[in-house]
Amino acid sequence: MADSFLGEELLTETNHEILRHLDTCPVCRADLAGRRALREGVQRAFHRAPELGASPEFIARLRNKLQDTAHQGSARRGVRFPGWWALAATVLLAVALGLAYRGRDRITATGALARVAVGDHRYCALQFRLAEKPISLEEAAQRYGAAYRVLERLPADDVMTAIGPAHVLERHACVYEGRRFAHIVFTYRGERVSLLVTAVDGSVTPALPGETLPHLTSPSRIDGMSVVSFRASRQMIFFAGDVVQNDLLMLAEAVGEPLYRGLAATESAGARRRSLGRVRSKISTRLISESEQLRQRSRVSCSIVAINEDSGSMRQPYPILHNQ
Amino acid sequence: MAQKSAPAAADPAWAAFEAEALPHLDRLFRLAMWFERNRSEAEDLVQETMMQALQSFHRFRPGTNCRAWLTTILQNVRSNRRRARGRSLLVDDPDDRIGHATPFVPPVPQELTDGELLGALGRIPVVFQEVIVLCDVEELTYKEIADALAIPLGTVMSRLHRGRALLRAELGHRRQSIVSGPTSETTHGMPRRS
Repeated sequence: MADSFLGEELLTETNHEILRHLDTCPVCRADLAGRRALREGVQRAFHRAPELGASPEFIARLRNKLQDTAHQGSARRGVRFPGWWALAATVLLAVALGLAYRGRDRITATGALARVAVGDHRYCALQFRLAEKPISLEEAAQRYGAAYRVLERLPADDVMTAIGPAHVLERHACVYEGRRFAHIVFTYRGERVSLLVTAVDGSVTPALPGETLPHLTSPSRIDGMSVVSFRASRQMIFFAGDVVQNDLLMLAEAVGEPLYRGLAATESAGARRRSLGRVRSKISTRLISESEQLRQRSRVSCSIVAINEDSGSMRQPYPILHNQ
Repeated sequence: MAQKSAPAAADPAWAAFEAEALPHLDRLFRLAMWFERNRSEAEDLVQETMMQALQSFHRFRPGTNCRAWLTTILQNVRSNRRRARGRSLLVDDPDDRIGHATPFVPPVPQELTDGELLGALGRIPVVFQEVIVLCDVEELTYKEIADALAIPLGTVMSRLHRGRALLRAELGHRRQSIVSGPTSETTHGMPRRS
C-alpha cells in the first residue's frame, strides 16, 4: 500500500487514512521516505546514465526519416484525393450507399412478404390449417376496405392464359403470420395456385407502377413454390404455386391487368387521376423497348397492358415483379 | 545532421506528431536501451516503434498520455521481435517463486550512487525491472503499465510490490557485500536476464 500511496494510485479516502496514520507513526514515515528516495534515485539515475542516452546523430537521422515518411504519405494522399475530389467522392459514395441500403431494404421487405404469402398458400390453400378461420371477401371489405370487394369479381372465375385455362376454386380473406390477405385459389396446370393480395405501405415498394424498376427480388422458388409478384397502387399481389415459374408468369399476365385496374378503381377519383397522370408522364419508348428486350431474352418481363385512353385509362405498362 | 523544418508547417499531421511524439524520443530510447542492452538493437527498436507510431498516429487520442502510448507500441514491437526470434521473456514464472525468495529485506543504505542503483535494478528479473522502470522512471499509471505489457492490473501491482522488495534487498545485500567483501553474483536464485 505504501508504494501505491507514493504512486498516487489509491482512493482519496485511503490516502487520507494513510496521511492520518503517518502523522502519528515515525516508523511508517521513515519507511515511506526510504521508498520515495529509492524511486527518485532510480529515476534520476536512469535519466542521467550516459550509456542509456541516444546519440544526437541517431535522433536527427530518425527525425528526418519520420518527416520524409510523413510527407510522402501526405503527398500520396494528395495525389489520390485532392480536397474537392475527396468531397465529391464522399458525397457520391454516401449517395450510392444510401441507395444500395434502400434497395436492400426493399428487397428484404418484399422477399419477407413473399415468404409470408407462400406460407399462406401452403397452409390455407393446400393444407387448410390456418389458426384463424377465413372470412368472406365481403365481410373483409366491410371491415378492412373496399379493395377486398373488388376481388369478389376479379379476376373472373375462368381465366384463359396463353398456355391454358385457370379456374377459381375459392375466394376469401385470411390471415397468416399476422398479415391479412385476399386469397383466391385457382386450379391451374393441374395444381392449386394462389393469388394473394395484401395491403402494403411505402416500406415495400415506394414507386408507382410504371415508374419503377421491375425489381425482382427473391429467388425463383421460395420454400418449394414458384412466386411471381407485382405492385398495385396500395397492394402487393403474389401468385404462388408448385408450377413452373413461366406458367405462373402467364397466369399473372392474364390476371394482372384487370386486377390492377380494378384495385386502382377503388381509390378516389382524384387519387386515380393523379396516379394515371404520373404514370402517363413516366411512360417512355425506352421503357417499353427495354421491357420487350427483357421479355425476349429471358421470357420474363414487364407486360404491356392495353388500356383504352378514351375511357379514362390508357395503354400502360405495369411491372410484373417476379422471381428469377 | 540538418533538420528539415520548412515543410512541417504545411503538413498538420506531421506537425501534430512532431509536437506530441518526438519530445519523448530520448526517453523512449533510454527505455529501449535498458531492455536491449545493445545500442544497435535499441536504435532499430526505437525506429520501428516511431515509424509505427507515425503510421497509426490517427489512433492516438489527444489529451491522453503520449509517452504511455509510445511505450505500448515499443513493448509490442519488442514482443514481436522476441517471438520472431523464438525467445520468450521468461523461462518460468518468477511470480511463483519470488515470495519465498525475499524473507528478509535489509535496510537500504542512505547514500547510493547511480551505478549502484542501476546495477541493482539490472540484477533483478526482467519482469520486475519492466514494471519498476515503467512505474518509477516513466511514471505510467498501473493501468497504462497493464496495457503496455498486456498483463492484468493485479499482476502489475504484485510485480511492483515484489520487484521493489527485490530491489531493496539487492541494494541492501550489495552494500553489505561491498562492506564485507566479494560474494556470489547470484540474486536469490533468480535469473538476471531471460
